[in-house]
Amino acid sequence: MTVHISGKVFGVELTDELRGIVREPTALFFSIVMPVAFFGLFVSLFGKFSSGGLSAGTTMVATFGAFGVVSVVLMNPGIGVAADRERGWLRAKQVSAVPIGVTLAAKVVAALPYAAGVLLAMTATAAVTGALDAPVTALLRILAVLMVGALPFALLSLAVGFQTGAGAATAVLNAILIPSAVLSGLWMPLEIMPAFFGDIAPFLPTYHLARLALAQLTGAPVLTHVLVLLGTTIVAAALAALSYRHARS
Amino acid sequence: METVLEVRRARHSYGSTPALAGVDLDVGAGECVALLGPNGAGKTTLVNLVVGLLPAKEGRVRVCGGDPRIASTRRRLGVVQQSLGFPTTLKVVELVTGAAVRAGMPRSASGPVMAELDLTDLAGRRAAKLSGGQKQRLQLAMALVADPRLLVLDEPTAGLDVPARKRFWQLLAQRRERGTGVLVTTHLIEESSAVADRVVVLDHGRVLAGGTPDELVARLPDRTVIARTALGRDRLAMLPGVVSVRNDGEHVHLGTRTPEALLRVLLAQDPGLSDLRVEGAGLEEAVAGLIKRERGAA
Repeated sequence: MTVHISGKVFGVELTDELRGIVREPTALFFSIVMPVAFFGLFVSLFGKFSSGGLSAGTTMVATFGAFGVVSVVLMNPGIGVAADRERGWLRAKQVSAVPIGVTLAAKVVAALPYAAGVLLAMTATAAVTGALDAPVTALLRILAVLMVGALPFALLSLAVGFQTGAGAATAVLNAILIPSAVLSGLWMPLEIMPAFFGDIAPFLPTYHLARLALAQLTGAPVLTHVLVLLGTTIVAAALAALSYRHARS
Repeated sequence: METVLEVRRARHSYGSTPALAGVDLDVGAGECVALLGPNGAGKTTLVNLVVGLLPAKEGRVRVCGGDPRIASTRRRLGVVQQSLGFPTTLKVVELVTGAAVRAGMPRSASGPVMAELDLTDLAGRRAAKLSGGQKQRLQLAMALVADPRLLVLDEPTAGLDVPARKRFWQLLAQRRERGTGVLVTTHLIEESSAVADRVVVLDHGRVLAGGTPDELVARLPDRTVIARTALGRDRLAMLPGVVSVRNDGEHVHLGTRTPEALLRVLLAQDPGLSDLRVEGAGLEEAVAGLIKRERGAA
């Protein structure tokens, strides 16, 4: 009975979040169209170059795709929770009969179709430009890896959202996202960037997420990347819990 | 009478600053209790304890026998906040239906409650675009759809016009007849005098007094001097024997235990004084007098 009710409650929470996404097309534009447009630009310029038997357009589905997914899951839950807190809606949820974890989980899960949409649009763009050369199974593995691997970024997003207003959350999360993306080689390969980028990248979880996605194409070892992302998830979960406990009312 | 809220020796502090210093409070089924007190009295902290947002550092808070920090206990609790901002993307019917499902009720429970609160015609409207009174009715609908045993109302009629306030309290009266207990905090003391069965006065985290509004008024032998005067509020507050000053349109209400002496001073200082009368003190004057007396004794 409890599980049944919890499932229904999660369904209501998720539906409300998805309604929020669908009914605000401006947010859709910035979260999907902008990254995909940038991807389209880069892939049409460099997509047909080849390295290690893979076209740049194919590897960019993993690396730039990691950027697209992270940008959605890093921005959406945090900004949403910050806006909810500002208008008193988070308090209304906290005093309701719904465990707050269910509400927050719905916010994170609602971002995933969005993130999948970004990745699928990038894949389609690479295919249209003739720069995509990978089996569907590998592309599906990339999709799965990026969806699951996005969790620590969603938790970090919530941690920021509990402490800032919606405007400040946008600024803070962008300040985390853009340098992480550039320094991890998500926009342009680290090989063509200054050498110190390559020294910094292994310390960033975004780098390991992109490498894990890339490994689905190259067959490279994944253990280190998985462990780093697991560790990041634990740290981000602790940060989110701490931030929630001390959330500004 | 069944007790739906029981608070025993509740203490809470923020760091080294005490907010509640051992508060006892009961609300029975169908009873309406108003929580009054100046800013910083501890009302918000007490409400946060009751709705499960804060733990009592000492003492006990029980809603229908359960700990309100536990989500399942909060199924018996409905909360109406002061000026809640709704999500801009959700419609009235979606919010009420969602509240029903969250409380373990069938979706169909939303229809009768929306009808009861005159929200049926607004079902398809975005909640964020409703007027202040409509938003408060929506909050009440979201609380009532769960058929709560205890309603906690935080300044529920702030910003509403007089007809909207009347309608709000009429709706609550119907629910109280069915056994729902109500705890309300408000700055509109005279309003609480009209709707509450009992009043509890808090100051500095302690319960100063409790009882029916009539009992509280009778506790102080105060009178209210009402007049139209050119004297300013600050100057009036300094007059001998004045315990409270309240503006009411063109009139000023002065609480005092020595109306004769005050009248002599008033007439001497403001020759243009008019529309003068002396009445028994209202609840607002009684509460102000109680607080002033306790602070003076401390």
